[in-house]
Amino acid sequence: MEAFGLLLHGFAVLMTWKILLLMMVGLVLGIFVGVLPGLGGPNGVAILLPLTFAMDPTSAIVMLSCIYWGALFGGAITSILFNIPGEAWSVATTFDGYPMAQQGKAAEALTAAFTSSFIGSLVAVLLITFLSPTISSFALKFGPPEFFAVYLLTFCSFVGLGREAKHKTVISMALGLLIAGVGMDTVSGTLRMTFGSTDLLRGINFLVAVIGLFGISEILLTMEERLALRGHAAKISLRVVLSVWKDLPKYWATLLRSSFIGCWLGITPGGAIAASFMGYNLAKRFSKDPESFGKGRIEGVFAPETAAHASGTAALLPMLALGIPGSGTAAILLGGLMVWGLNPGPLLFVEHKDFVWGLIASMYLGNVVGLVLVLTTVPIFASILRVPFAAVAPMIVVSCAIGAYAIQNAMFDIWLMLGFGVAGYVFKKIGIPLAPFTLALVLGSRAEDAFRLAMIGSGGSVGIFWSNGLVGAITTLAITLLFWPVIDKVFTGIGQVLRPARAQIIGPVKVSRVPRQSSTE
Amino acid sequence: MKQMGKVLGGFVMGLAFAATSATAMAWEPTKPVEIVVAAGAGGASDQMARMMQAAIQKNNLMKQPMVVSLKGGASGAEALMYMKSSDGDPNKVLIAYSLIYMLPLSAKIPFNWRDLTPVAVVAMDQFVLWDNAGGPKTVKEFIAAAKAASSPLKMGGTGSKREDHVLTVFMEKKTGAKFSYLPYKSGGEAATQLVGNHTEANVNNPSENLEVWRAGQVRALCVFDKERISYTTKVTETQSWNDIPTCKEEGIDVQYLMLRAMFLPGKVTPEQQAFYVDLFQKVTQTPEYKDYMEKQALKPVFLKGPEMLKFLGEDDALNRSLMTEAGFVAN
Amino acid sequence: MTSSDLEIVVEDPTAPEADSPSVVDTRTIEIAVSLLLLALAVVLGYDNWRTGIAWDSTGPQPGYFPFYLSVILGGASLYGLVTTLVAHGAAAETFVSRAQLRRVLLVFVPTALFCLAMQYLGIYVASFVLIAGFMRLVGKIALWKSLLTAFLFTAIMFVTFDLAFDVIMPKGPLEAAFGY
Repeated sequence: MEAFGLLLHGFAVLMTWKILLLMMVGLVLGIFVGVLPGLGGPNGVAILLPLTFAMDPTSAIVMLSCIYWGALFGGAITSILFNIPGEAWSVATTFDGYPMAQQGKAAEALTAAFTSSFIGSLVAVLLITFLSPTISSFALKFGPPEFFAVYLLTFCSFVGLGREAKHKTVISMALGLLIAGVGMDTVSGTLRMTFGSTDLLRGINFLVAVIGLFGISEILLTMEERLALRGHAAKISLRVVLSVWKDLPKYWATLLRSSFIGCWLGITPGGAIAASFMGYNLAKRFSKDPESFGKGRIEGVFAPETAAHASGTAALLPMLALGIPGSGTAAILLGGLMVWGLNPGPLLFVEHKDFVWGLIASMYLGNVVGLVLVLTTVPIFASILRVPFAAVAPMIVVSCAIGAYAIQNAMFDIWLMLGFGVAGYVFKKIGIPLAPFTLALVLGSRAEDAFRLAMIGSGGSVGIFWSNGLVGAITTLAITLLFWPVIDKVFTGIGQVLRPARAQIIGPVKVSRVPRQSSTE
Repeated sequence: MKQMGKVLGGFVMGLAFAATSATAMAWEPTKPVEIVVAAGAGGASDQMARMMQAAIQKNNLMKQPMVVSLKGGASGAEALMYMKSSDGDPNKVLIAYSLIYMLPLSAKIPFNWRDLTPVAVVAMDQFVLWDNAGGPKTVKEFIAAAKAASSPLKMGGTGSKREDHVLTVFMEKKTGAKFSYLPYKSGGEAATQLVGNHTEANVNNPSENLEVWRAGQVRALCVFDKERISYTTKVTETQSWNDIPTCKEEGIDVQYLMLRAMFLPGKVTPEQQAFYVDLFQKVTQTPEYKDYMEKQALKPVFLKGPEMLKFLGEDDALNRSLMTEAGFVAN
Repeated sequence: MTSSDLEIVVEDPTAPEADSPSVVDTRTIEIAVSLLLLALAVVLGYDNWRTGIAWDSTGPQPGYFPFYLSVILGGASLYGLVTTLVAHGAAAETFVSRAQLRRVLLVFVPTALFCLAMQYLGIYVASFVLIAGFMRLVGKIALWKSLLTAFLFTAIMFVTFDLAFDVIMPKGPLEAAFGY
């Protein structure tokens, strides 16, 4: 029961008025950015990050993760009331959520969404709680070759499993890695790709790029598309909440299935989007009455929301334990950790126990408080949408600029932000995915350093990546994933030869209306 | 109104004060003072900056608040260029270390510490040779093991072509053993990698290895100084800093100390410089500073004025010759 | 907000005409982006080649990693360029229509001007001007509302960052006049 003791310790760290206040502030801000069209989890966290620079790391991460929970909750509000998924992973929620709102059952749909978000996160947090202690004993096994193998695995899985055109994923990733390399090279101490500019000397900051790519480009895109929202108002009463909760046990199978899918896809970098669709599709497949899905069935809200949130939460585990972000928001939190001088990775669990357990405890508290908060304040937040966009847009621009400047106190970063804003706008429109870029930017220099340190250690022999069971297994898995599409084809080919009449088990996901990707997954 | 009264009161008091001690209080900052750290968060410079911030605040040494500003980009070059571009701004003070000599040599950065205004040297930092607790027990055994190893032993350190790297090269020169030097991003990383047995040794500052030393995971072999560290309070169960032998005692004649000094940007007035000299002199007398020196096993030193200039000149020449001899000067 | 079928309708004041002519099609942009990336790959590749791309006694030289990344970037861009050029039979998809471009510029130009103004006026004055100006001129919102919103937002930002959290922001002549 080591985990339990550590968790109690984590709660003790949190129980100060200051931290509880920051949690509330974070949640409110999070719901706010989740509801605002054109913002959302990663963007909101990126823009609000500078607020936390002057705090100690524990307070800062607690506030940031609360912003994240808030954004997750907030995304459901717009999906259900306005049929606008605030986040890409809320798309599946609109399938049944919006029809429910049309039928006057908005309150039920919202309660279902919030409750299932809560359940999904809770399952994932429990998983994190009980897996974390084992991670710290595993920690010291990680030297440069192991770290590089893990980074390689992340990169390869993106190229191999991504749904976008392969060459576009490769472009995005190579560009991110190159930009991460600008500035001084730690291993040799020489300058690279700076072309004599003193502004490029310090490198291109990951967060500046993210603020431009997501914040500014979203404003441009939102402005480009006509923004006309037509939605339904909702007021949640205690009676509705209780009646939805009373029915919960009926859906235990759906909730459990979705939680499991979510946790699995969150830990492996599959992401919340895949999780929400998979949760929805499986619920439909196992249902006795699949025809009623898409017409306002409450299970159609439970399934994707539980999966998306389990996945969003579980994504924090690989971030903390290995330094690999499982989602876009996790990548930004990772950038934040590095700003505070914390090196995510297995050693974090050894060196900064207070921090890690404080964060885990805050996941419990943040979710409980968040649930109560959203249930009571839905009408207020829904009315944010009535604020004219012409007022919201310049405020977001200003917040982006403040964020970009505060990271390094450099005017040059403001121009970089603007440049990345334009690049993000064009990339999104021609289908170059931004997720691999973000990931490459945040992991790039770490991956390169790990590779070169491994090489120095081994005297230049690549064999070091198969020198023990741990590193060998990870490297092999990485290469398998890179060539997964090829391998998959070969196996399917063989399968078809053997059993030509085999039917496909899970049909392709049908998405009638895919919104613009506003997240990085 | 109350606020107004306070301000007025302060003003009157200030006037009275200025009249009585016009020379000492000739100038003082009117804006928050930025203390620029040429390293990442949590590193030795950052910790020191935060200690000073706390000491100044607690002892009311300055009216304006002090803000720590981290500029560790490009191995600290960012901070140097930032100071260089702030000519005449008396509200920025750099907490410098030997980087100010080395970086311009190894990375061809257009910077010379003479462009800045020296304020004071506030401490000297030591270097210690560490190995894993499971490794050789003495320097002699360690060197013997290094010579006998089939592939060079791995030596961890912070950054490339910097103090740690220079020390490694000089150990090779004096002993004839070969090491492969692994540059990590921070001393903390070098410490944990040593604990995990991914490297065989490192040359961290005392503060960087303090925690793992106390936990009994690493062993301190020798200190790169002419004399032992003066602190005799037990740090681990059996040893104090003073129990670590010098490397010279153990047969490796290598010495290196790293300065910790404060600088203002260039072209500030002598009054402004005088204010900060006075401020940091007061800081070195606070209990917070003394406590910090002992905890981090730093050598308490205070140099100002011509004494400091003379020291900086000599130290610069020494570092330059070490860097040249190690082959780290970019051409 | 008592009845649950009340509708909230938010109309964008700059709503577009439905069939605005296309300014540029996606294919052209894809080709342009591919060419730009290719050029970038060549420039970075050259710079890294100069830094050194060989292996020396301590593993790969500093230029090694980025050089091969430049090659990969160049290769992928070239592939993209060729496939786009080959697939010219496909129907031309609109990248941006005239009305859309107008709206994008409506927000982009003020943002760029804001960035420029920030260098001289400091962030707070520039923010005030941007928010008030954008709300009044683009949003056609009443002048007093625009000025009040802009003032409140800027003031909150100032209090949060400069006073409460000690995050130092760029300032201009106005703040200097008040002694900040």
